[in-house]
Amino acid sequence: MADLVSVQLTINGQRREGRCEPRKLLVDFVREDLGLTGTHVGCEHGVCGACTVLVNGLAARSCLMLAVQANGTELVTVEGLMKDGKLHPLQQAFHEHHGLQCGFCTPGMLLAALDFLNTNPSPTEKEIRQGLSAVLCRCTGYQGIVRAVEAAAIVLRDAR
Amino acid sequence: MKPPVFDYHAPATVDEAIALLTRYGGEAKLLAGGQSLMPLLNFRLSRPAALVDLNPIASLAYIREDQGEIRFGAMTRQRTIEFSDVVRQRLPLLTEATALVAHLPIRTRGTIGGSLAHADPSAEYPAVLTALEGSVVVRGPRGERRLGSADLFQSYLTTNLQPDEVIVEVRLPAMAAGAGFAFEEFSRRHGDFALVGIAAMLVGDGERCRTARLATAGAGPVPVRLRSAEEILERDGLSEAALDAAARRAAELVEPDSDIHASAAYRKNLTRVLTGRALRRAMAIMRSR
Amino acid sequence: MPEPGAAPSLIGAPVKRREDQRLLTGRGRFVADLLRPGMVHAAFLRSPHAHARILRIDATAATFGPGGVAVFTADDLRPHARPLRALSRMRGYAVTEMPALASDKARYAGEAVAAVLAESRYAAEDAVDRIVVDYAPLPAASDPRTAMADGSPLVHEEIKTNVILSRAFSQGDVTAALAGSAVRVADRFRFRRHAAVAIENRAGLAEWDAGAGALTLWTSTQVPGMLREALADLLLLPAHRVRVVAPDVGGGFGMKSALYPEEVAVCALARLLGRPVKWIGDRREDLLTSTQAWDEDIEAELGLDGDGRILGLRASVWADLGAYSIYPWTASIEAIQVVSFLPGPYRVPHYHAEAWGVATNKAPMGPYRGVGRPVSTFVMEGLIDRAARRLGMDPAALRLANLIRPDELPYRSPSGLVWDSGAFIETLERACDAVDYARLRAAPPRDAAARRRTGIGIASYVELTGVGSAIPASPGADIATGTEGATVRVDPAGTVTAAFGLACHGQGHETTLAQIIAQEVGVELDAVRVVHGDTEAGPIGTGTYASRSAVIGGGAAILASRAVRDKALLIAAHRLEVDPRDLEMAGGVAWVRGAPDRRIPLSDIARTAYFGVRRLPKDMEPGLEATRYYDPYIGTAANATHIALVEVDLDLCSVTLARYVIVEDAGRIINPLIVEGQAIGGVAQGLGAALLEEVVYSDDGQPLTGSLMDYVIPTAVEMPLVEVMHVEQPSPSTLGGFKGVGEGGTIGAPAAIANAVANALAPLGVEITELPITPERLFRLLDRRREPAVECAP
Repeated sequence: MADLVSVQLTINGQRREGRCEPRKLLVDFVREDLGLTGTHVGCEHGVCGACTVLVNGLAARSCLMLAVQANGTELVTVEGLMKDGKLHPLQQAFHEHHGLQCGFCTPGMLLAALDFLNTNPSPTEKEIRQGLSAVLCRCTGYQGIVRAVEAAAIVLRDAR
Repeated sequence: MKPPVFDYHAPATVDEAIALLTRYGGEAKLLAGGQSLMPLLNFRLSRPAALVDLNPIASLAYIREDQGEIRFGAMTRQRTIEFSDVVRQRLPLLTEATALVAHLPIRTRGTIGGSLAHADPSAEYPAVLTALEGSVVVRGPRGERRLGSADLFQSYLTTNLQPDEVIVEVRLPAMAAGAGFAFEEFSRRHGDFALVGIAAMLVGDGERCRTARLATAGAGPVPVRLRSAEEILERDGLSEAALDAAARRAAELVEPDSDIHASAAYRKNLTRVLTGRALRRAMAIMRSR
Repeated sequence: MPEPGAAPSLIGAPVKRREDQRLLTGRGRFVADLLRPGMVHAAFLRSPHAHARILRIDATAATFGPGGVAVFTADDLRPHARPLRALSRMRGYAVTEMPALASDKARYAGEAVAAVLAESRYAAEDAVDRIVVDYAPLPAASDPRTAMADGSPLVHEEIKTNVILSRAFSQGDVTAALAGSAVRVADRFRFRRHAAVAIENRAGLAEWDAGAGALTLWTSTQVPGMLREALADLLLLPAHRVRVVAPDVGGGFGMKSALYPEEVAVCALARLLGRPVKWIGDRREDLLTSTQAWDEDIEAELGLDGDGRILGLRASVWADLGAYSIYPWTASIEAIQVVSFLPGPYRVPHYHAEAWGVATNKAPMGPYRGVGRPVSTFVMEGLIDRAARRLGMDPAALRLANLIRPDELPYRSPSGLVWDSGAFIETLERACDAVDYARLRAAPPRDAAARRRTGIGIASYVELTGVGSAIPASPGADIATGTEGATVRVDPAGTVTAAFGLACHGQGHETTLAQIIAQEVGVELDAVRVVHGDTEAGPIGTGTYASRSAVIGGGAAILASRAVRDKALLIAAHRLEVDPRDLEMAGGVAWVRGAPDRRIPLSDIARTAYFGVRRLPKDMEPGLEATRYYDPYIGTAANATHIALVEVDLDLCSVTLARYVIVEDAGRIINPLIVEGQAIGGVAQGLGAALLEEVVYSDDGQPLTGSLMDYVIPTAVEMPLVEVMHVEQPSPSTLGGFKGVGEGGTIGAPAAIANAVANALAPLGVEITELPITPERLFRLLDRRREPAVECAP
């Protein structure tokens, strides 16, 4: 068995650390070692996107990273979206536009959408669908999610 | 679906990485972006004794212009390439192809060197390397060497790289200022691997074509440079008839495999159709620049 | 104090969901999120062979090593768990025994052969790798029609056949009717194998409390009540010491409504080991072993007179059941629904259909959203369009001539199902209006050389929802699916807790049921909390499946709420010294009509009920809660018409959905946001079924679609905007007037899309008989038509 490695990172603004096997996936480290179970495991081969987190501000699939690779990084998970007890505009928009049903893909969808809007603050519907295609949802048929991202884009632009 | 046990190393330099590869005698794998390797590990289809992680080697990520070439450190992220002004100006075909690579979160981590070393013939970057006549710089214990596409890609997921060698740099000749270009692909869903993709570049004016470059993705075990289709255009120009002839010739040049997504016959059909579409779009761009 | 008589009803309001807060902030609690002290992790060794004798299992290498690993096989579990035997009273049905771990034989690739427990999933998988199994591979049965023949490999030797079930429906004399038909259209249809692919994989966490002699299973299931009964039986435990909890569940779609061997295994292992056992299935396991669906081979023929009136319909259906009849539904659930719903919403005077369910060496078939009806609709709607082309009639006009009219309702279908209500003609006409059908059909035809074609496809269907005890959800199966209960309790603070045996997995029960209860009791929406998914917390029930929760759960909610309201008003009237008929109650306050300052809040009423017993009416029992059960007995028909507009690129052989319209009769709508979400979500799965998704097995039973890159479900790009409109007619048959709405999307979409593609390709002489219409399939269809001798890839 390989030696354990040390992982120190900042997650949702908090400095955290742990020790784990080098083979431990980042998503499992976040869920188990850091106790943040909002990020979900859906496929473990980088297709479904449920495990999406922000690594240094950019969306990445945490099932395709080793925890040790996140050493020294800043992570944002779904738990880090609320500010002062208020929902992030994306979260609020998902709520208003029925952008979730079972909720399992939702954390990944929120973070992928956030990264997408950061690269394209005024997207067309077609561009939104292309951006959202990074995460699979089986419940909603995506329509509520598209509406939510359209609405959130406006709020986020106005806030700038 | 958890990875099997492996030794993990994060060397500080490329030479250390090479020494590790040598030490493990072919049983170690390089970890670049991880977007192709990690699924294999999670499925336990790959069971290396060790992973040598290149990510901490910051000096391997750069984009530089040098003597008419754009040089990429092998660990340059696809996402960085996607939004690079230099690339957009000097290698617009690469910018277009990059936006087609999977999805943005994959491109956050995926690298240009990793994509080429993985050598999936359905991927966009190997086709672009082939069409633009680029090269990779490979370093090993025996020194450095430079490989073009034809030498690098041997077969499906197989390159000429020795187990103790590392791609350190990717070089692409800057495209001519008024060049037309297009990457045209067809996949089952948005973001999936192309069933077939065509990288096209045209340099010329009006109906004349000085340089045509065409390369495939998904139409065989390696990217195929469609030279005799290019020659039709370079000889006969860019009339409708010549474009159709080049597209038909392209289909004759490929020997695709069949899999559960597409048969060889259908891939040949796609080669013809997508070559035609890529050429027409490239031509329109060329005429507008 | 205003008189709130004018407040808009909560039932019918687009209320935002109560579930969202926790799910949006990463505070949902799915099985994988749960921790129990002393927990160990399970992984399963699974057969690589589709069919093989298991000769020897050698776990010595696995148990030697770090991490405290234990390996268990069928022999270890046998004293603790009986095999799953799905029983049915259907004639001609053969019971197949499904053990928690395979013992003598593995019958499909992926069947669990051994269980490993370790301190982490990582270590458990390492141990799985080190187990050595000697298999003697056997020939595999992989096609139902050949598996029926003598000499085929037998999946279950003891029943001496692979035909697990057979059933026929007959009305009138179809042979004569077809013989006398002016037009006969027939075809062989193939609806290929599909998978539900919930984004949360199946998972179970079992804990045995030795002190209390009690078992708790947290599992990603739709049916905790059903599982509790089944587990008590299989594990030889008293039922009142078995608790099943469905926490937050990440999608089910019918696939999570069976009892799975892994669930039995973790329970038995938890008892054996004395430590909680957690199994989180991964995607590889999901694609290998979760129940699969809709895999039928159908030969069907429709006969009509010269005016386009249907005279007769005949069909033979072969269903590929996989290796086991699933528990407790039995294999009949899918195959029989194909033939019982095939006539659709049409007048079919003469009908004969027979179905065979055949075992093969594949993962078992089970219910998946729509259950049989997506397939029956594809066939019947395809036959209707063929008939229209043959007759030179417009497909909408042909439907109109045959759809059951409102004055014919209630209507008994040829298979004995009764449509109590339905807006068949209205939904068709409104859908046609919505897409400007007449103008589309009148548009000049495309140039014969056009490489892009457009097509328009219609699908009309009817289904039964909220099925009560009169009709078995799965014919012959010994499970009661016709009732649900609701316990509505007002606590002394005046807030309301309502508990159900339902188990929500995305449908928004915590919101919709709260809307009903708040409206019926007379409190604010936020005063109601809905509890579901826990057999300890709710009345006896089965769960959420088969589009029944709004009807049956909603009905029980209404009954219990009214009982509570009535009692509250009696108490209030007594306290206010008025007649209860003079009282109103809304927003958590009861007041005298016309004198709103004479009022008493519900909290006060409740405190009287619990603590002020001396101030209750004479002989009134203390307390303010009610449990009521509801059985709609038959249930109620729901129907819709879907219209799809597609674009076909003949060069790429691709199909794009340009527009999609649904007009549905969903009865009285509780929450339009949720109804629309169900419809659109179903359309996405139906689109996947029509164009993208297929579970592929090789001829020797090897699964070839083992990842989400091979089994491809739609992304946001593949989905068009879907317009959903409603005919809002309350059901005449259900308390509350609700109808079930969960499954319509998958029932209508494959047929509508198939018909649209066929319409686009009709000028080229191409018919659509097989789903999914992948680009490869479309290429072959177009290629075959171009050149007679075509070299087709294998």
